Formats: sequence, C-alpha cells, structure tokens
Amino acid sequence: MDVEDMEMDIPLPDELEFLESNFHEPEQNQEEEEDHHYHLADLEPPAEPYSPQPPPDLEAPSVDIESSGHKRSRSSSLPEEEKRAKVRVTVQEDSSTEEAADEDWLRYSPPPQEPAAQETTFAKEKTLSRFASEIDGECMPITAPNGDRVYAKLTRFQGEERVKTLDCNGYSAELSSEPINVILERLEQEAFAKALEASSEGQSVPDVPEAQMVNEQLWVDKYAPKSFTELLSDEQTNREVLLWLKQWDSVVFGSEIRSTSDDVLSALKRHSSIVHNQKPLNSKFPRKNGGSKWSNGGRYVNSVSMDESGSSKSIQDAWSTKSRNIGPPEQKILLLCGPPGLGKTTLAHVAAKHCGYHVVEINASDDRSTSTIEAKILDVVQMNSVLSDSRPKCLVVDEIDGALGDGKGAVEVLLKMISSERKPDAGKQTVGKGQLERKSSKKGSKTTSLSRPVICICNDLYAPALRPLRQVAKVHIFVQPTVNRAVSRLTYICKKEGMKASAIALTALAEYTECDIRSCLNTLQFLSKKKEDLNVFDIGSQVVGQKDTSKNVFDIWKEIFHKRRTKKSERKSHRGNSFDFDSLYSLVSKRGDSDLILDGIHENVLRLNYHDPLMQKTVKCFNNLGVYDLLHQYIVHTHQMSLYVYLPLVAITVHHIVSQVQKPNIEWPKSYQRYRTMMTEKMDILNNWHHKIPPHIARHLSASSFVEDLISPLLHILSPPTIRPVALQLLSDTEKNDLAQLVSKMVSYAITYKTVKSDMLHQTLKSELADGLALSFVPPISDFINFKDYTSNHYVLSVAMKQLLVHEVEKHKILQVGVDKTRALANEGHEIIETGTPNIPLANTNVVARKSNANPTIVSSNLNTDKSSSAKDIGKPQNVGNIKKATRSSSSFFDRFKKVNIKGVESNDRSLPEEAILEKDRYPLLFKYNEGFTNAVKRPVRIREFLS
Amino acid sequence: MLWVDKYRPKTLDHVTVHTDIAHNLKKLVKEQDCPHLLFYGPSGSGKKTLIMAVLRQMFGSGAEKVKVENRTWKVDAGSRSLDIELTTLSSTNHIEISPSDAGFQDRYVVQEVIKEMAKNRPIDTKGKKGFKVLVLNDVDKLSREAQHSLRRTMEKYSAYCRLILCCNSSSRVTEAIRSRCLNVRINAPSEEQILDVLELIGKKEGLQLPPGFAARIAEKSNRNLRRAILTFETCRVQQYPFTSKQTIPPMDWEEHISEIASDIMKEQSPKRLFQVRGKLYDLLINCIPPEMVLKRLLHELLRKLDAELKHEVCHWAAYYEHRMRLGQKAIFHIEAFVAKFMSIYKSFLIATFG
Repeated sequence: MDVEDMEMDIPLPDELEFLESNFHEPEQNQEEEEDHHYHLADLEPPAEPYSPQPPPDLEAPSVDIESSGHKRSRSSSLPEEEKRAKVRVTVQEDSSTEEAADEDWLRYSPPPQEPAAQETTFAKEKTLSRFASEIDGECMPITAPNGDRVYAKLTRFQGEERVKTLDCNGYSAELSSEPINVILERLEQEAFAKALEASSEGQSVPDVPEAQMVNEQLWVDKYAPKSFTELLSDEQTNREVLLWLKQWDSVVFGSEIRSTSDDVLSALKRHSSIVHNQKPLNSKFPRKNGGSKWSNGGRYVNSVSMDESGSSKSIQDAWSTKSRNIGPPEQKILLLCGPPGLGKTTLAHVAAKHCGYHVVEINASDDRSTSTIEAKILDVVQMNSVLSDSRPKCLVVDEIDGALGDGKGAVEVLLKMISSERKPDAGKQTVGKGQLERKSSKKGSKTTSLSRPVICICNDLYAPALRPLRQVAKVHIFVQPTVNRAVSRLTYICKKEGMKASAIALTALAEYTECDIRSCLNTLQFLSKKKEDLNVFDIGSQVVGQKDTSKNVFDIWKEIFHKRRTKKSERKSHRGNSFDFDSLYSLVSKRGDSDLILDGIHENVLRLNYHDPLMQKTVKCFNNLGVYDLLHQYIVHTHQMSLYVYLPLVAITVHHIVSQVQKPNIEWPKSYQRYRTMMTEKMDILNNWHHKIPPHIARHLSASSFVEDLISPLLHILSPPTIRPVALQLLSDTEKNDLAQLVSKMVSYAITYKTVKSDMLHQTLKSELADGLALSFVPPISDFINFKDYTSNHYVLSVAMKQLLVHEVEKHKILQVGVDKTRALANEGHEIIETGTPNIPLANTNVVARKSNANPTIVSSNLNTDKSSSAKDIGKPQNVGNIKKATRSSSSFFDRFKKVNIKGVESNDRSLPEEAILEKDRYPLLFKYNEGFTNAVKRPVRIREFLS
Repeated sequence: MLWVDKYRPKTLDHVTVHTDIAHNLKKLVKEQDCPHLLFYGPSGSGKKTLIMAVLRQMFGSGAEKVKVENRTWKVDAGSRSLDIELTTLSSTNHIEISPSDAGFQDRYVVQEVIKEMAKNRPIDTKGKKGFKVLVLNDVDKLSREAQHSLRRTMEKYSAYCRLILCCNSSSRVTEAIRSRCLNVRINAPSEEQILDVLELIGKKEGLQLPPGFAARIAEKSNRNLRRAILTFETCRVQQYPFTSKQTIPPMDWEEHISEIASDIMKEQSPKRLFQVRGKLYDLLINCIPPEMVLKRLLHELLRKLDAELKHEVCHWAAYYEHRMRLGQKAIFHIEAFVAKFMSIYKSFLIATFG
C-alpha cells in the first residue's frame, strides 16, 4: 500500500495545481473539476479510506454543492465534495437517464424547475457543446425548439462502485445531524443499491481487483467510447448506422414496449435534417456532401458519393412513407469499411448496444468455415436467448474481408439468407404479410431468413470476396475523423492520465498515424509508461510505429509523377532530397506490386507534359523501364528474390526524370493486359487453324510463318477479283477451272465462310450490312491484318459469290468423305469399288468432271459393267452441284431414280438450307442398316441388282 | 492447292534449289548410315521440304501417310506427375513433334518420346531400317534443360532412333547438341534461284511471264521462297495477263510498319511516341513476333535515313533487340528503340538545319 500511496501522491499536486489555476472560472470548469475528481476516485478507490483527513463534520451534507465549491478550502475538502456529489447523483439514479441529466444540472440552481426553464438554462450554459466529442464522458443530445442541437454532459456512475464508497463513508458521518429528508433519501438509495447489486451481481464481482486492473488496462479500452455520443467517428455515419438499426425495431421488438417511439425516430430524423440545413447549399446536400466528405478518400469518391446519395435518399423515402409498422430496412446487412483504427468495431458495438441489442461478434480469430458459421449465424439471428439477458442479438461480423477462404464462408451464408428472404418477400408488398410468412417459416421448415440486424466490418471494400455482398448490403465508408477532433480527444485523455503533451505534438502524432486513434493511444500509453513526454521530434523516430498499410496504386503513381512544390531553402538542403527518396522508396516497396506500378508508369509517362525537346528524358525513362524488365526477368528466372529491393529504384529514377509540378492525369494501365489477352486469343485461333489444315500442308508451316508470310497473300488469292458473280453454268471453262481450284485451295487450308453478325464485321463489308448478316472467313484470317488506321486493299467477294463458295466447299468436303468411305469399303475386299476408287484423286475429281462439262452421256448408256457404277459415282455428285444442269440432264438419264429426281427438282427452287438434303441425295441410293440381331445372311448388294 | 504446296518437291531428286545438299543427303541415306541431322536456316528456305524428302528417301512413300494425334504423356517429375499434351504427326516410321509447345515441360516430352520409340523398336525385316526417325521442330525454342536432357538421350538411344532437328538459328542450340549432329545449313535461296523456281512454276501453269516481272517478285520476296511463290500466285489471281509494271501486293504488316516508320520520321515527340505505341501494340496483338517488328522497323527507317546516322541507329537497334531477348516485355524495348531513334534523329536535324 505504500506504493499505492506514493502513486497517489504524485498526481495529486498536479491536479490541484491545475484546479487552482482554473478556479476563477467556476462555471466553465465545474464539470471538468468534477471529472477529475471522479477520475481520481475511479483510479484509486481503495486509497480513499486511507485518506489522511478525517471526514470533516463541519460541512453539513445538506449544504448546497454550489456554495461549497466556492467556500471550501479545496485542499482539505476535496474528497468530501466528491462524496457529496456522488450522494446527490446516486440518489437520483433511479429516475430515467434523461431526468438524471436534468437533475444533474439542477445542482446549480437550488429548487427543481419546470422543464422549459431548464432548457433555456442549458442554452445559456457554456458547458454545453455542439459536438459530443468536446464533452468529456457521457452526454446527451438536447434539441431546442428552434432546432438547435447541443450536447449536455451527463454525470452518471456505475452504481455499485458508488454504493460501496457510500457505504463506508456514509456511516462514518454523523447521521443525527442530518435532516430527515436526507435520511429518507439515503434509505431509498440503499434499497436501490441493493437492488442494483442483486440484479447485476456478475458485474459487481470484479470490483475488488479493479484497482490492480486499472493500471494494467490499455488506454484504448479504458477510453473506448461507452455511449453513442462519445464516438469519434463521423457524425453522419454514426447517425445513419443508428438509423439503420432503428429501422429494425419494429421487426425485432415487435409490439413490445421497447419499440422505439415515434417521437424518438422523428427526433432522429429531424436532427439529421437539421444538420443538413445547417450546412451551406442544403438543397444539394447528398451530392455535395458526398463530394466534399470523401474527397480525401481518394478513389472511393465516385462510388461513395453514389452510395451516399442513394442511401440518404432511401432514408428520406423510408421516412416519408413510414408508418407505425415499418419493416426491416431494405438492405439487411450493413457493411462498414475503412482503414484500421477509426472505430468501426466500436461504432458497431456502441450503436447496437444503444439500440438495445446484445452484440454477438464473430471475428477473424473465430472458426469461420461455412458450416460452423452458418450454425452460428442461425443461432444469433433466429434464436432468442433464454438467459437473463433477453435482449435480442445483433450480429457483428468483424474483419469479414480477412482471410479469403474463410471470409467467403461468412459472406456466402449471409447471401444465402438474404436471397432466401427475397424470394418469399418478393410477391408481398405489405410488411405484415412478410412477417407472417417469416413466422410460419420459423414454425415449419428451417428456412434461413434474416430477422436480426447484421453488421459486417471490413478494411478493404473491394476485396474480391465481398463483391456479392457489396451489392446487397448498405455500405458505409469510414473516413478519418478530422485531426481536431482526434486531438481534442487525445488532449482530454492526456489530461486525465496526467500526461503532459502539447497540442502541437498531439496534432503531429495524429497526422502521423493518419488519425488512427488506436495507434495514437497506444503510443501515448507507451510513452507514459516510460515516463516520457510526447515530443514533436519523437514522432518521426522509432518510438511511434508506423502503420504498414499500402497506399492506393493511383496515389503511388500520382506521387511518382507529381513533383512537390518545395521551398528553395529546402530544395538546397540535402535532407529534403533524401527524404523524398526515402518516402518514395517506402511507398513503392510497401505496395509490393511493382509490376503493376511499372506498367502504370509505362502507360502514363508519355502523357505527361514534361519539357523534352531532344527526347533525352524519354530515352532515359524507357531505358529504365528496360532495366526493370531485365531485372525482373532475371529474378524470375534465377529466383534471386533478394534483388527485389532494387525494383522500386526504377520508379524513383523515373520520378526524378519526369515528375512535374502540375497534377498528372493518370489512367489505369490496360493496354498491356489487353495486348496479352488478345494475343493469346489470336494465337489460339492460329493454332486451331493449324490443326485443322491437313498435315501434309500444315507440317511445313509454323504458327509464326502464318502471319509473316501466308495470310496477306492468302487473302488475295482467296478472293480473286476476276471471278464473276454469276451462276455456275454461265462461267466459261477457264473460269470454272479457276473456281474449282479456288475451292480446292479453301478446302486444303480449311477455310470457309460463315455468317456473322454485322456488328462484328470488318468495315470493308459495309455494303452487305443492309442484310444484317454477312459472310466472313472462318477462321477469321482477315482479322490478322486488321490494324488501326490501316486500310488494306484486299478485294472482297460479293455475298453471292461467297455463298456459292460455301456450297462448293461443303460439297467438296462431303465428296472427300464419300471417297474415303468408298475407300473403306474397298478395303473390305469388293472388286467393284476397287475399280472406282483409284480413279478418284481427291482434289481433282471435281475438276476433271467439270472439264468434261459434266456430261451425263458418259453414263447415259445402260451399262452393266463395274466401271459404269463407278462412273456414276463421279457423275452424280457433279450433277447435284450444278443443280439446274443436273435436273435438266437427269430428265434424260435419271428418270428411273424417280425419288431422287423429284427431290432434286424440288430443291431447285428452295434456298440454301435444303442443301443438306441435296448433299444426301447426291448419292443414288442411301440405304441404312438398322443394326440389330438378324438371322439373315448379310452380303453386299449392288445397286443395279435392286434396280433391274 | 496453293502453288506453294502443289510444286513442293517431294523427293530429293526433284529438289531444285539446294541441289548440292540434296545430293549429299541422298548419298548419306543410301549408305545406310544416317547420323543425327540438324537443319538450320531462315524461314522459307526449304528446310522442311528437304526433311520430308529425306524421310521419303529413307522409308519410301510410306512416310507420306501421316496421321495427326493429340497425345498425352504422363510424366513422373519428382514428387508429382504431369500430364503433357502435344500434337504429333506420325507415320509408321517417324514421329514429328514441336516440343517447345509444351512450354517449360518440354524436357519431359523429349525424353518420353525417345524412350517410347526405343521401346517399340521396329523389327528388322527384309532389310528394312532398324530405326525410327524423330523430327523435332523449333529446337532453338527448346529450353536449356530440354536441350541438356536431349544430349544424353540422343547418344543412349542412337541405335534405335535418329533425330532430325530443325531450327531457324543454330546459335541457340547448345554446342553439345550441335556437335552430335551433322549440321546442315540451308541458305536462303538467292534471287536467281527464286527466279528459276518462279519461271518453272510459270511454265508448268502455262503462264506468260513478261521479262523482269519474276525478277521483281524475287527481289521483293526477301529471299523467302515461300513468300515469293505466294506473291506470284497472288499476282496471278489479281491480274492474269501479267504486265511487267503490275503492282505486287505487299504484306500487310510490313505495310503497317512502314507507316509507323514514316510517322516516326515526321515528328519526334513523346506524343508521337504514344501514337506509335498504339500501332506497335496492334502489330504485336496480331501475333507478329517482336523481333520481326524491330527488324522490319529498322529496315524501314534505314531506307529513309541519312547515311551518317545509319551506323549509330543499327547499333542501337541491336542493343535494344538484345535487351528485348533478355527481357520479357517486348514493348518496353521496342519503344525504347523508337525513343532513342527519335532522340538521335532530332538532334541530327537540329544540328544540320539549326
């Protein structure tokens, strides 16, 4: 205890000194004094009984605190005053919180007054503040009739603690001297204290070791906001989160008494609208606000302002249409995101508690596999606790973006629940029905519907795992609180802890940590433990750990291309230069993704406006990029990862060469990726094509020689301008020959035409766009000469010609298959066909037949020999190809093949699709074996045996 | 069929361009003692044609009956087993593959194929060859590891299989392999040889060739026989009765590069370089190898360049091509070359014209 005494002695003089110096402004500092006293009491409750002074009897407990504050000599009566205050307040504790606040204030004016009068006094009191953060400890909002809103301080205590002190001290005082009303009050108070103790036994247990704990406790926990108004984070966000939670009330609490009354809701609403009105340009509030608020959020600007306006609009809508029985909010999940240390988790907890929920948190340290998390969520969302704590639960899924695999589990479960919710709700507009549905579903099967609020917290909104969640959830992005707010809170805490810290140093600290209040507090506590004061110069040194967060890539590029406007003196000094270097280095290396960064440099460097008459800077730049490429490739090949440290240097060199004062306009590097994907695509096309070409040709070509040598001439060759787009029979012999050769070329290179949608077409085919469809090469070889700003002078055939070619090519292919078949048949050992097949060299069949002018007379005579049948095989397909000719000639010769003929004639006036049938019909007879079991003797039969 | 394929010599006797080489090869095959062969030379010079002719010489017309197969090899590579897919062309007596298609796993392909061939060794009947032939395309694209593993396998199984390697540049084939093969360099045919071939084709097709026309084609073909024949056929298709002043259609990508070159000559600024970048990307997207782009670009630039700059520009082109081959992102280096050229050219302009 000696030690404790010692410890107590140290802060006391400070406190007193401080109090004394401020004493001449009693009204303003009253609160603060009290605060400090309480603070002391909080810290060292066990020390009190040992306090050297006996409790002074002179001061009657009934003496007004107000007067005592002025009269007493402070050094002696300090503990006494505390007790007084406590007594008074604890007595009033049983009234509602609101009243407690009022009563608290009443201490300054002797008799109780009417509420209206109170309010006016509040407005005049200086201790009231417009900002919750400026008030120490708890406070409550008060809205004046004219719409002004202020926060008044609340002095509330944790009951049991106070009761204890009361117990020891109260009885030591002389009861007899007290008036009866005081005694009565005290009795009442005792009863209340007992009740309290009984009800919250669990909490009162750790009372004894608290003295020990307090010193160990982290400041972060100790000064964590306990109530909604204490939150440091942005007011707008806080309020919207609260609003969202409030919207659940009707669903969660139903018609219970705890359901938020309309006036609270409307107060909340009025309040938010007041805030809007107070801002300039209130009519454009959502957009305007979005823009200004998020401007330091970098890339979030667009999406957020949209979210923002959307959400605030939806809130307004909800409010305007809201009646007593509102349903759950449209978006059933709230997604909070923002950099670490801004108080997202705290906000979620505080807000949920504020709305009367029991917070259940699932964070990254828990088991988050899909199965376990599903059970857990169901547990939270659908069950009601049977324990004494019967508050409904609110699920907080912290760090949902954390581990990708695990976080996904949580996201999936939530999504599943939402989607299962949507389906039944879709048809039913009224909420009442929806609720019924939900109830019945609860009774019946186990459908997972979401009937409790779920708050998800993440750092990176754009984590891939969150993509689906982002669309269904209400997204709030945290921004840094202003430095001022953070600093005021820090000063407050420093004061409380008795630590000397100048505002400048705190500001520097807050700036350094990017308003990460958690890291600020940890740093301060660390320093106070070391009994050091916060020094402005310390901040840059090792004492303060800097967050290892990577910046947005865009920011990095900006940093590289943007030259800071430096003062001349600084530029001269060497320090400024090296600082520049260091910061850039750490910036680039922290990001890690040097490939992307360099791609971005490559993409954007030429768009800068640097002065470079002889292109020397550009050359240097590109040489550096080249060096980067070589280095990178070397690292990848040899796995010398240690060399990675040198990669950021390339970026720094580029920075020194081209950085400009004016702001660069940076674009995301797309072209390299685009090039990679398109090239692989085209490479695939080439490879596929290569495989399709018959091997005896393909083996001589490699993929690269296709583009280098082959495609351009091939395009010319395949669309000869000399061929007239007329019907086949009008062509001269040489022309037919050319056509046949063309077809054989197309077949041998596996090229044909296909209809494609017009919008995909090359421009040169514009003339045919009228049809909406056009024919183009398959594989799309004409794409390979499709350069920007380059017009090739390739002749393109007319559609009719292409269609003709398509037929011919198809025919040629089928013919080839047919020949293969006959060849296969021949292998089975039938002499008839053997005579036929050798005469049919694949490519030449057509040509030969054509040259003979497809004269059916060759076969016209009634031949019974083997040869005739083979000749027939040749002649027949030819006939069908030239449809008209075939039909004309067939009247003379093929009249016996009635069926075939009729079809040929029919197809004459039909359009292309009939071609397939035609192709089949080209064969004199098609007979098909239905394979099965038969006892009949099978043998090959000749066609003429059927015919004769 | 295109004339390129139609008039491709099928046997060593019919070869028209590299007659001396064909003669030697024929003797080699006849003596029944064929070593491993390494054919190298620029594209369009007739390597593949010669290889086919050699195969035919060895195995007769059976070598021409090939089938295409998509084969999968299961390979045990240390701890895991790999599945490698590759297209093969094979006849009864030979297999043809491009192992570089398998990427960095090419090593396993080479070993597996050769081992497999050794297992299924053809039986020596009726004086037929007791070995199979493995044709490997693009040996210069093989990884170093694959080449090293090839070296041992080549020796070990040389009794059962002969290798015919084919590549564009022997410089990227390791010494060890080169020393184990009979190196056959196939020159790009001279313009006269190309002229002869064109005239032969013209005669066979029954075409009237105006004097000097074939020579122009030959000149434009860059000593690439395939291209010469294709261009010839293109001309035939476009306009038959040839006139000696008939335009010879250029390669589209070369045309595009010459546009780029004239862009570069017109203006030298970062902005122009940015435009050029777009066009360069266009070329690369269309699968034109960056080396070809750089080479052609240099060619086009040199044509328009003052003589005293030529040496320096060539030097830098070589410098950047070297770096390009070492690196991975070709576009960086091509652009660096363009920037360098712009810088040189601009300072030259300022120096001469003030």
